[in-house]
Amino acid sequence: MKTTTYIEAITSAMAEEMARDESVFLIGEDIGLYGGVFKATKGLQDKFGKDRVIDSPISEVYIVGGSIGAALVGMRPVPEIQFADFITPSMDQIIQQAAKIRYRTGGQWTCPMTIRVCCGGEVGGGLYHSQINEQWFFSQPGLIVLMPATPYDAKGLLKSAIRGDDPVIFFEHKRLYRSIKEDLPDEDFTVPIGKAAIRKEGKDITIVSYGLMYHKSLEAIESLEKDGISVELIDMRTLLPWDRETIFESVKKTSRVVLVQENSKTGGVMAEVGAAISEEIFDYLDAPVTRVCGLDVPMLPFAPPLEHFFLPNAEKIVKAVKKVIDY
Amino acid sequence: MAGNQANNKSSLKQIGLSEETIMGLYGNLLKTRLLDEKLRKLFRQGRFAGTYFSAVGQEATTVGPTYGLRDEDIIGPSHREIGAAVTKGIPLVEIIAQVFARRNSPDKGKSHPCHYGSRKKGIIHPSSTLAGQTVLATGCAMAFKIQKKDNVALAFFGEGATSRGGWHEALNFAGIHKLPIVYICQNNLWAESVPATLQAAIEHFADRAKAYGFPGVTIDGNDIFLVHKIAADAIAKARKGEGPTLIECMTYRWYGHSEIDPANYRRQDEVEEWRKKDPVSRAEKSLFDFGLLTNEKREALVEQIDQEIEAAVQEVEAVPYSEPEEAYRDVYSDNFPVRRVEY
Repeated sequence: MKTTTYIEAITSAMAEEMARDESVFLIGEDIGLYGGVFKATKGLQDKFGKDRVIDSPISEVYIVGGSIGAALVGMRPVPEIQFADFITPSMDQIIQQAAKIRYRTGGQWTCPMTIRVCCGGEVGGGLYHSQINEQWFFSQPGLIVLMPATPYDAKGLLKSAIRGDDPVIFFEHKRLYRSIKEDLPDEDFTVPIGKAAIRKEGKDITIVSYGLMYHKSLEAIESLEKDGISVELIDMRTLLPWDRETIFESVKKTSRVVLVQENSKTGGVMAEVGAAISEEIFDYLDAPVTRVCGLDVPMLPFAPPLEHFFLPNAEKIVKAVKKVIDY
Repeated sequence: MAGNQANNKSSLKQIGLSEETIMGLYGNLLKTRLLDEKLRKLFRQGRFAGTYFSAVGQEATTVGPTYGLRDEDIIGPSHREIGAAVTKGIPLVEIIAQVFARRNSPDKGKSHPCHYGSRKKGIIHPSSTLAGQTVLATGCAMAFKIQKKDNVALAFFGEGATSRGGWHEALNFAGIHKLPIVYICQNNLWAESVPATLQAAIEHFADRAKAYGFPGVTIDGNDIFLVHKIAADAIAKARKGEGPTLIECMTYRWYGHSEIDPANYRRQDEVEEWRKKDPVSRAEKSLFDFGLLTNEKREALVEQIDQEIEAAVQEVEAVPYSEPEEAYRDVYSDNFPVRRVEY
C-alpha cells in the first residue's frame, strides 16, 4: 500500500499502462519537457522518450484529431487538454469523429482514445481556467465520460479507459489533485466503467454527486447526521453511460433524492438523471427530485466571493436536503 | 506509322512510367468516370436517396496519387474521392451499396452517399466537416512514425478546406515531425459556390506549405500521368522518412457541388474551357499516341466496365435496407450495450 494523491494516481496509471502496452502514448501542451502544468506527466518523457510523450504545438484540433487518427491504426493515445476551457477548438474532432466513427462506419473503425481533461473551480483559476463542461460530452452517445472523485478511482478508471476500445473523456478535477490522498494497493487494479459507487449507506435520502461535489456532499452529510438525517451517498464516477440501476435502487429505498453538480443547472447531467428518475420510478418518490448546481450564468466568475456564490457547497446541500426531508 | 511508333515508344519512356502503370492508371480512371456518370444517372432516376457528389472532371487527382499504394497505407479523403475508392480496390458492390445505403454496405446504411471508406483497404470514411480527415490522416502518419513502420498517409481535400484551422494545425505538426504524409489539394476553383479568390489572397494554395517547412508544388491536375509521377515521388520520399509534400492539382468539377446544385454561379464558357481539358480524353489521346490503345480496344474496355457496374447495381438493388434495430448497433464496443426505448 502506498499513500497516493489524486494526481499521483493519474501519473502512475499512465506510467504503468505505457510500460504494459507500447501502443499507449501521450500528446499535449507542456507535457514533456515541463512534465505538465500540474505535473501529471512528470518524469514520463525521460522514461518513455519523445516519441511517446509528445510536446505538441498549441493545437487542440490536432492534439485530439491526430490522436484519433493514431487510434485508427493501432495506437492507444492519451491526449491531454490542459484546461477544460480549451477543449472547444477540438469539439469537431471529438463530436464528429471520435464519437461517431464506430457508428457511421458500421464498426469498421474504432477509436480507443482517452482524452484527459483538467477541469473545475474552487482554485481561484478565474473564468478561463475553471470551467467544467461535462454536459456537452454527456449528451453525445458514442463517448464515455468519466469523472473520478478519489485517487483509487482516478487510477482504476484511467486504466480501464486506456485499455478499453471506446473514446473516453476523462475529467480530472484540479481542486482534488493535491487535496486528497488515499492508500492504494501496489498491485495492478482497475475500476469498471459504468458503475456508480455507494460511498455511504443511509435510509432517509439519497444524494447523487460526482467529482468535487462528492466531497462537498460528504461535508454536508457530517452536519446532516448531527440532525439525525441518514443519507445514502452515491458517487456516479461514470457519467456516460451512467449507472441507472444503482441510482434507481437507492432512490426506491429512500424515496427522496438530491442531485449535486458543480456545473450550471440547465441541461446538465443531473437534468437527465432527474428526468429519468421522474419518468421511470415516479411512484417511489415522496418529494420532488431536487438539484443543487452551479448558477445559470455564462461562466464561473473570478472574484472570490463571486466564485463562492456560484459554486454549490455543503451549506447549500444541507439546505436542499432539509427542504426535501421536510416536504 | 512505323516511325511514329518509334517516336511514341521514346515519348513513353520520357514520362518515366511503365506500360503496366500507364494502363493501370487509365483503367482506374475510365472505371471511375463510368461509375460516376452511372451513379449520377441513377440518382436522377430516384434509385437512391439523399444526393450525390460527382467528381467528374477531377478524377485524375485521386486516381493518380492512389495508384500503387499498399493496403496498409492510409487515405484520409473528402467526399469527391470515388477515384481513390476505385483505385485502392474497394469492390464495386461495396461502393454502390454505400451510395444506396443498403444492408450490404460496409457502413450498414448509416453514413451518407459518397462517404466511401474501408478499413481493410485503408480508406477512412470521410466526415462532412471538411479537412477533418486531413487531421486524422496526419495522426495516422504520426502513428506510423511511432510504430517505425514505412507506411504512408495520403490526405485529399479541396482548396476550400485549406481555410479550416484544423488543416493548418495538421500541416504544421506534420512539418515539425517530418511525418510520412502527402497532402493532395484538388483546386477545382470553386468551394461549392465560393470562388478560390474569396478563399485566399494567394494564387497557389501550394504556397501554404512554405509556412510549414516542406515543399509545395502546383501541377496540372488533369494530366493523370503527371499527377501520378509527382505524387509517387512524394510518396516515396515520405516513405523514406523525408517528410511531407503538398501537391496542388489544378482541376475542375464539371457538375454542381452535388446533383441538387445547378451550379449557375459559374460562367458557361469557364465550364466549356475546362471540359476541353478532360482528364480521360487527354489520357486516351496519349495512349493512342503511344500505340497502347485503339478505338476497338477502348470500346471493349468500356463495355466490360459497364457490364461490371450494371451487375453490381443489380446486386445492390436486390438487397434490402438494414433492419431498423441496426440503429442501436455500433455505438460502443460490446461492453456497453445501448438501451432500447419502448413506449
